[in-house]
Amino acid sequence: MHELGVLNSMVHTIERIVKEQNVTAVHKLVIEVGELSGIVPRYLEQSWPAASYKTFMEETKLELIVIPGIVKCKDCGRVFNAVYSDLNCPDCGSNDMEILEGNDLMIKEIVCN
Amino acid sequence: MEDFKILEIKTSVFADNSIQAGKLREELKDKKVLLLNLMSSPGAGKTTTLTRTINALKDRLTIGVMEADIDSDVDARTILKTGAKTIQLHTGGMCHLDAEMTRQGLEGLDTDGLDLVILENVGNLVCPAEFDTGAVKNVMILSVPEGDDKPLKYPLMFSICDVILINKMDVMPYFDFDMEKCKANIRLRNPNAIVIPISAQKNEGIKEWTDWLENAVNSWCE
Ligand SMILES: Nc1nc2c(ncn2[C@@H]2O[C@H](COP(=O)(O)OP(=O)(O)OP(=O)(O)O)[C@@H](O)[C@H]2O)c(=O)[nH]1
Ligand SMILES: [Mg+2]
Ligand SMILES: [Zn+2]
Ligand SMILES: [Zn+2]
Repeated sequence: MHELGVLNSMVHTIERIVKEQNVTAVHKLVIEVGELSGIVPRYLEQSWPAASYKTFMEETKLELIVIPGIVKCKDCGRVFNAVYSDLNCPDCGSNDMEILEGNDLMIKEIVCN
Repeated sequence: MEDFKILEIKTSVFADNSIQAGKLREELKDKKVLLLNLMSSPGAGKTTTLTRTINALKDRLTIGVMEADIDSDVDARTILKTGAKTIQLHTGGMCHLDAEMTRQGLEGLDTDGLDLVILENVGNLVCPAEFDTGAVKNVMILSVPEGDDKPLKYPLMFSICDVILINKMDVMPYFDFDMEKCKANIRLRNPNAIVIPISAQKNEGIKEWTDWLENAVNSWCE
């Protein structure tokens, strides 16, 4: 279950951040999930209750923003969505590309009350 | 209306783990211990390769092994037979090890007097690539039956590895595996990766690999 491990790690990262900011309760988390991160948004949502169980974020809502997987073909320069074109350049067929966006899993906002 | 304070942080979800991993690497440098993280799909040949590696190097290096497994201890028993100091780590259902679990494993193993510690990570190509364990070198095994297009499907794993061992070369005649294509696919993801074909079962190609490893240990422990 990849998503549960990812969320456990995220809870630790946030724990450190909120300690530094002197915050005690977190109302909502806004997370950006890249389409090329290998992480499935739906599974993240399903795993959240288990990952937050008995932590300081048990009551915290999880909001996900999906970031499209945008790449640039290194052979012809075309910029396209890698997911829809099955990792091949729609113009020249090359699979040598540079990822421009959508590779990461980022904590965007922590909404505190 | 409730008053919310919004912290806009833009931090990687894995930030905390990366910090822990960095600290662990510094400590390993001070202790002159090279930690190697060995990854692959289930059954690609990690334990068999590890046995060959230990047998080739045990006269010249003192080696410890950490076997990570979701629940069993079969691999640790196999490795114990080589005489290497071995510890079994149970991940409790988790499909990878993170830096904190690795640190606990190293404490349990006790690295005093060891030159090299090899971690056999949990068999999968997704999470072990995301979670920096604190290892000094990352190595993966791709076995011939898995196919030459794996580097395209698991880009992150291939991009973080220093060495990629292509194992089960002995079964090459039975599979539609194109070595040149595989190397080209690896190069797309990681131009610096060293690719070494081996057959762990037949003990072939192991010397090139253990020479690389011995060199890496010597330069790390200088
Ligand atoms: N033909 C062939 N079989 C091999 C080779 N290396 C390993 N095997 C076989 O592949 C199977 C799995 O090998 P292991 O070394 O246990 O693989 P592993 O990656 O440690 O497996 P897990 O820990 O279960 O993920 C065993 O039956 C081995 O005998 C090889 O070079 N050639
Ligand atoms: Mg094994
Ligand atoms: Zn996983
Ligand atoms: Zn193109």
